[in-house]
Amino acid sequence: MIDFFQYLLNGIMVGLFYAIMALAFIIIYRAGRILNLAQGEVVVFGGFIVWTFIAGASFSLWIALPLSLVAVVVLGFLVERGFFRPMIGQSIFANIMITVGLMVLMRGLMIVFWGANARPFPIIFSLKPIILGPFTFTRSIFFGAIIALAVFIITHWIFEKTRWGLGLSTVAEDHVVAQSMGISVKRSIGIAWALGFIVSTLAAITFLSGQSINFLVSEIGLRALPVALLGGLESIWGAPLAGILIGVGEALAGAYLDKYTMGAMSEAFPFIIMLVILLIRPQGIFGWKIIERV
Amino acid sequence: MAVLPCGVHSINYSQDKAFIRTPAQWICFIAFLLIVFAGPFFLPPRMLGIIIITGITTVAVVGLQITVGLTGQINLGQSAFMGMGAFTTATLAANFNLPFWLSIPAGGIGGALLGAIFGIPALRVKGFYLALTTIAAQILFPLLITRMPSKWFGGANGLGLAPAKIGSFNLQSDQSLYYLIMGVTVIMLSFAFNLTRSRVGRALMAVRDNDIVAEIMGINLFTYKTLAFGIGSLYAGIAGGLWAYYIRYVMVDQFSLWFSVWYLGMIIVGGVGSILGAILGTAFLRALQELITIAGPWFGQIFPQAGGGALWFSGMNIILGGVIILFLIFEPKGLAHRWNVLKHSFRIWPYPYL
Repeated sequence: MIDFFQYLLNGIMVGLFYAIMALAFIIIYRAGRILNLAQGEVVVFGGFIVWTFIAGASFSLWIALPLSLVAVVVLGFLVERGFFRPMIGQSIFANIMITVGLMVLMRGLMIVFWGANARPFPIIFSLKPIILGPFTFTRSIFFGAIIALAVFIITHWIFEKTRWGLGLSTVAEDHVVAQSMGISVKRSIGIAWALGFIVSTLAAITFLSGQSINFLVSEIGLRALPVALLGGLESIWGAPLAGILIGVGEALAGAYLDKYTMGAMSEAFPFIIMLVILLIRPQGIFGWKIIERV
Repeated sequence: MAVLPCGVHSINYSQDKAFIRTPAQWICFIAFLLIVFAGPFFLPPRMLGIIIITGITTVAVVGLQITVGLTGQINLGQSAFMGMGAFTTATLAANFNLPFWLSIPAGGIGGALLGAIFGIPALRVKGFYLALTTIAAQILFPLLITRMPSKWFGGANGLGLAPAKIGSFNLQSDQSLYYLIMGVTVIMLSFAFNLTRSRVGRALMAVRDNDIVAEIMGINLFTYKTLAFGIGSLYAGIAGGLWAYYIRYVMVDQFSLWFSVWYLGMIIVGGVGSILGAILGTAFLRALQELITIAGPWFGQIFPQAGGGALWFSGMNIILGGVIILFLIFEPKGLAHRWNVLKHSFRIWPYPYL
């Protein structure tokens, strides 16, 4: 029974980590109706930038972190300006394909800049596990979950209380309406990309702490897709809920079903859930159902 | 058919529908077939291998063009459907000793079934939701294949198969496989060109332009969307079957998301919605791939710290990503559009327009 609760709690924490990545998806999707398939690459790129400042330039964490965040904000604006602004008003296919192009391009650039070999990521949270009563947690996952909750509260505050955030919510609703209310759609999409990059970098720090980093880690980005979809692509609070559901399901599938499927079930579980959602309720739990008119 | 020379008039429907209409076109067509047929006699072996792989890729990319370009259903899983075809062909050939003229079509049907199953959600969802469905297909495919009993699909190790046989003659050399693969490619291409002129093809295009309007006009969306995925992945499956007989060893790593992205890149470069574009795009990107393979060692000498294989892989990724992005931003209509512009200006030369 203790085992079961241990799996459950680990699942919740892994799920919250998935939720941060899904949040980055959602922020970018809400603003520009762009489904960023390059999410995993953005996370790893952010991770490499942090790595460069800490391990490469040997700054301390408290100098490296603000520097990396500034760097990814600049990068986010550049990506938006260079690749996504020309795509405003283009077909959905073109918008998806440009993120796919970005995904492949970023992989190539990561190999050129940082090589293909795995490198140790600096240990940001110590490797000693946290023991609470009968349960043990990996420290990075534990703090990751706390950071995730903090990120969600801050994002909620930005979107509900600040002028920029409210502008972003309007842009999410309708580009034409937002533009006629005097909100710059272009600038809002730029801000959304910068925010998405910041959230991704935070995800990278919590996930990669003490692990090794190379371009292959970006596969993790695809695992955040089902989370974003289950929660609803427009909903900020859908992501943590869906993250927990999928994280727990994955942990339990890993614990109880993997022995019958040779380890396939925990990997396949999020995507099976994704197919089921797509068939039953494509807008997810809290997403907006958009009625199409001819 | 705006590119016919002047003075060509159709006096009945069969003339109007004909593909090849003037003596000059017949000459070009026959000359082309002769050159294709004579290829193995004068081409160096390496070039022959490149052409064979390009032929296989063309079949898969034309299939993708039917799903994505003609019907507008986004498909990021073409490589998985190709893999399904390859594994079906391989297991039928290795475990049941089926001859190639049965196992390759069976591979096509295997691919088509998988594609049609993952195409069913297309009725309810569109756009990027559909992209997600096909990504799920691409991710679930290797998990599924490697967990099957290893007798079936070879598990994680992959599956080898004996060369294709006609009577007692082994299709083992590049020369003999060239004829098999080019023959199948030509058949598949002519089917694709004719599909765009048939009722089915026009229905598919109506679905692409606006599916709600198409439904009001009496096109059954479920049938035609599933059919679009079915035909597209039938092509992928046949390409997979050819691949299985050419490489004679199939494993799941040969059919990853990365290859699906290449195929999509090829239709973007060629021009979305045009069968000719799919062929041009495949040829263009395959040429770039070969160029990187040739230039890779040369760059490796200039930047020795990057390491050979990784440099090749990163070069491939940068070129692919860069080409996709540049074409989407600067030439979204692709090479097929450029080709048509060129043909038109050649026809009306020396006037700038008619």
